[in-house]
Amino acid sequence: MAIRRSKKNLFLSLVMLVVLAACGGGDGGGGGDAGGEAKGELTVGVSGAFAENQIVAEMYAQVLEDAGYTVDRQLDIGSREISQTAFNNGEIDVVPEYLASLLLFLDPDATATGNASENAEKVRTALQGKNAVLLEPSGANDTNAIVVTGETAEERNLEKVSDLAPIAGELRFGGPPECPERPFCIPGLRDTYGITFREFRPLDTGPLTVAALEGGEIDVALLFSTSSVIEDKGWVLLEDDKNLQAAENITPLVRQDVVNDEVTELLNGVSEALTTENITELNARVEIDNEDPADVAQEFLEDEGLL
Amino acid sequence: MGVIGEAIQWLTDPVNWAGDGGIPHRMLEHMEISGLTVLAAALIAIPAGLAIGHSGRGRFLVVSLSNVGRAIPSFAILALALPITIKLGLGLGFWPTFFALFALAVPPILTNTYVGVAEVDRDLVEAARGMGMADGQILRRLELRLAAPVIMVGLRTAAVEVVATATLAALVAWGGLGRFIIDGFAVRDDARILGGAILVAVLAIATELVLGGVERLARPRTVSVRA
Repeated sequence: MAIRRSKKNLFLSLVMLVVLAACGGGDGGGGGDAGGEAKGELTVGVSGAFAENQIVAEMYAQVLEDAGYTVDRQLDIGSREISQTAFNNGEIDVVPEYLASLLLFLDPDATATGNASENAEKVRTALQGKNAVLLEPSGANDTNAIVVTGETAEERNLEKVSDLAPIAGELRFGGPPECPERPFCIPGLRDTYGITFREFRPLDTGPLTVAALEGGEIDVALLFSTSSVIEDKGWVLLEDDKNLQAAENITPLVRQDVVNDEVTELLNGVSEALTTENITELNARVEIDNEDPADVAQEFLEDEGLL
Repeated sequence: MGVIGEAIQWLTDPVNWAGDGGIPHRMLEHMEISGLTVLAAALIAIPAGLAIGHSGRGRFLVVSLSNVGRAIPSFAILALALPITIKLGLGLGFWPTFFALFALAVPPILTNTYVGVAEVDRDLVEAARGMGMADGQILRRLELRLAAPVIMVGLRTAAVEVVATATLAALVAWGGLGRFIIDGFAVRDDARILGGAILVAVLAIATELVLGGVERLARPRTVSVRA
């Protein structure tokens, strides 16, 4: 009996020793912040399979890997409908999100504004009771942008959207077909800025509008603020000086059950480094120069001292 | 109420029948681009078909052209034509759509004209020649008249295809009935999409009926000439 008990005690103390060693190892690598949690496996996803989202997701993955986490990547998720389902099921843990789009996805009756922190607060309210934490919004705002060519900007002396008001009657405007019916587009430009264009040509927010602006078929275009073509063609993005466009700042969304101080600090570090200008440049490198999103992300993080 | 009921409500709402964006104006735009394209295609394809059918030369060209023409989606032609028309200063809207529809309209007219002429009884052609008719006379008085019903079938086929496909014009900022479908899709308005589709279908069927009537008028006259 006594012998058996001592054998059992020996076994237990061996188990305790192994567990303690493992915990100690985890604490040592985590710099103390991770507390008692061992560094686990995380899956980084995207809210849409396009260059910008993949670049930012790569940044999240690489800073986490650099801190010792094992990261799995799911960078081909086509839409928010799918990514949010996967996120809620715990199949992905971290995802770069867009504030206003996420808000409207979570609460279709909500109103997104041009203010990033306001939108972030509304998202946090909508996330209450869910297994999800919204971290700090970055300065990179991928929203609707009013764009003119470099020549038009120079000739007409255009810097801000409000500069268009006095001359809009002479200009042709091109954008997606829903423009006349959406508050961010024609009705908003009219009511917020007093802009009424001579003509609206229903196109898209992509190649058609780009071709039309380039070919001089339209004078003013509605594009996305971080689309690489703006920089590539030397076009001018007019400043939305009356905050008509909803703030779509790229922001990390993390599952509550994996978030900790270290993860928060790492991902917020990426947010702090991102701006509309630098993500636009990175998009161009992937979309126009066909560079790999992972390489582009790594170089950026190294330059910013985040790796 | 289902989407069909909503579409009927959309079609009967007087608001949708008024102004430049209203149904009558869009219908006229649709008929304008379709009509002009079929006319242009006929002006090119009928003489070409007659020449090939009469001489028997260039048959390979007709067959390949119509096969290729039918195989390439109009959407692709539209996408290919757009940068070219912009570069040429022809712009968005009408011209890129015109080229896409033209490519769609030429093959049936060309093929039917060629087949119509080629299938005219060679004995009749020889008889006409024996009566001292010149090539031009044979073509005009004999072959064209006998081939007329077949050519009309080609025209009708082309016109119906063009009317149905002219909806693509809305993708490149032109009007027409496609506007309702494209704009309805952009704002997820199913009633407008279905309403627009119904209007296109009605216009296509009307085209079929009118040209079918013209075709029947063309037929007895040629037959009486032969009889």
